[in-house]
Parts: sequence; C-alpha cells; structure tokens
Amino acid sequence: MKILVQFGIIFGVCWVGYAISAALPFSFPSSVISMLLLLLLLLFGVLKVDHIRAKSNFLLSNMAFFFIPAGVNIINYFDILKSSFVQIFIICVISTLLTFAATAYSIRFTLYLMNRRRAK
Amino acid sequence: MTAFFETPFFGVALTILAYWAMVKLQQKLKNQLANPLLLSIVVVSAVLIIFKIPYSAYDMGGTIINMFLGPATACLAVSIYTKRQLLKKNWLPVVVGCTVGSLTSMTSIYVMCKLFKLDDTLTMALLPKSVTTPIAVSISGAHGGIVPVTVVAVIITGVLGSIFAPLLIKIFNVKEPFAQGLAIGASSHAVGTSKAIELGEAQGAMSGLAIGVCGVITVLFSLFIS
Repeated sequence: MKILVQFGIIFGVCWVGYAISAALPFSFPSSVISMLLLLLLLLFGVLKVDHIRAKSNFLLSNMAFFFIPAGVNIINYFDILKSSFVQIFIICVISTLLTFAATAYSIRFTLYLMNRRRAK
Repeated sequence: MTAFFETPFFGVALTILAYWAMVKLQQKLKNQLANPLLLSIVVVSAVLIIFKIPYSAYDMGGTIINMFLGPATACLAVSIYTKRQLLKKNWLPVVVGCTVGSLTSMTSIYVMCKLFKLDDTLTMALLPKSVTTPIAVSISGAHGGIVPVTVVAVIITGVLGSIFAPLLIKIFNVKEPFAQGLAIGASSHAVGTSKAIELGEAQGAMSGLAIGVCGVITVLFSLFIS
C-alpha cells in the first residue's frame, strides 16, 4: 500500500506537469516541469523525501532500464545512423573535450577571482 | 508465429531479461565500455532482427516501459534535493562552471552539425547530448529531434567521458578535485560520474551535482531554440 501511494504521488505530479506543459504556448518538456514541481514541493516541505523514497529509489537506481525501448527504436532509423555515424561520433568526441576544458577553466577562473577578492 | 509475440508481456520480459544479463556482465567485466544500456539496446535489437519479430510487437511492451520515463525524470528532483547543501555552499563556481560548460557543449555541437550539413532532426537530437539521458531525451523530443539518436549519442558521450577523464585531467592540468568533478559531470553526466566517484569523494559529489545543474541550465538554453 505504501508503494502504491508513492506511485500515486509521483504519477500525480507528472500529470500536473503534463497539463502545465500542454497549456504553455512554447514547447517545454513536461517531464522537466514535473521534476521542477517535485523539487519545489520538497523545498517548501509540502512533501518529505520519506513520502516518495521507495519509489524514487526504484526509478533512479533502474534509470538506464527505462531507456532501452527508446534506444531500440533506433532500428527504425538505421539508415540515418549508418549514413551519419562518423559525423555523430566526431561531434561527440570534440564536444566532450571542449565541454570538459571550458567547465574546468571557467571554474578555475571563478575560484581565482573569489580568492583575490577575499585576499583584499 | 507473429501472434506469439503480439502481447506486451513479450517486450517487457525481453527488455528486463536483456538488462539483467548486461548488468551482470558489466559487474563481471568492470569495464566502462560494457555500458549496460548500450549493450541491452544492441541485444534487444539483434533479437528482433534475427527472429524477424516486428518492431510493433516489441513496442507493445516498450510503450509500457516508456511510460515510466517521465516519472523517472521527475525523480531526479530527489537527487538534486539531497545535494542542496553542497550547492548552497559552492553555488557561484558551480553555476558559472555549468553555465559555461552547457553553453560550450550546445554551441560546439550546433556549429559542427552545420559544418557536416546534418538536418534539423539530427541537430536537435544531438544538441542536448551532454546532459543526463532523461533530460536530453525530453529536450530532443520536445523540439522534434530523433529521440533514439539522442539516446545513442548520450551514451557514447558518457562512455567517452568516463574513459578519457583521467587523461583530460592531465592534459588540461586540472588540479582542484572540485573542478575535476564538475568538469566530468558537465561533459559526461551519470556515466562519467561513476568514474569521478573512483577518483575521489569530492570529485564524485561535484560530478553528481553537475548532472542536475547542467540539466536544468541546458533546458533553459533550449527555450531559445525554435
């Protein structure tokens, strides 16, 4: 029964998230709205982590599993993947490198500025 | 023969079986290349192709599993919530680092997609690929990207990041554990984070924090794409 209620809470939040997303004039992913809603409910103390712990642990620890059907759908796009795989791979390699470097250097710069201000 | 597979039970059972086997395999191999999600996708696809099972039959079960994607994404709120103290204490470098990282990722992908003359459905599929799968898939889907390509690109990115993280730390001479963790999380989400945890506690925690923060920032940036 406890797990059933937790299911109910999370699916209920997702339903509200879907309704908000459908009402918005621009496209904004409903699952992200649900995530932000849930975060607000937790921050304002309306919900406690204990209220949804079992269900959220179940979903978070098996996260990868839920993406398998979305990935298997690739067999319907095999031609696109085959003709563009090299480009996609190059894009993944270069953007990962650049993102890593940009993040690391911007943090170093921020820390440097913060230390200098503190020293003054 | 096809009638044999025309039930949701088939798709759900096959998917669980494949995932279970691939998680066991990774536990044995302890190798980042043996990504359970990627291997499960390959195994399920291979079964469908080899036994000539129509995709529509598999998808009867697939749709049911898909239904849990939204709730699973929403639960990321719990992992962000449990890290709120860490974020509060370091909010400035974390927000700056994740904003610069997300912007660099999306800009570089956009430029390269234009260079390679990829069409809009592929560009949209690749644009959010540096963030965690649930958020990347939501953004890609909402903007007309090819979702399965997003899933594959997100995994490739994660695996690349986790393999090359130690090398990148050396090349770019990143000394602060704090910066190491955030850079790994920002560039290669949850798969990279599993590597960051091996590097140290501080790296692991910051990498985990970067997943949520970069996810939210990337969603905000994606609002400006039309």
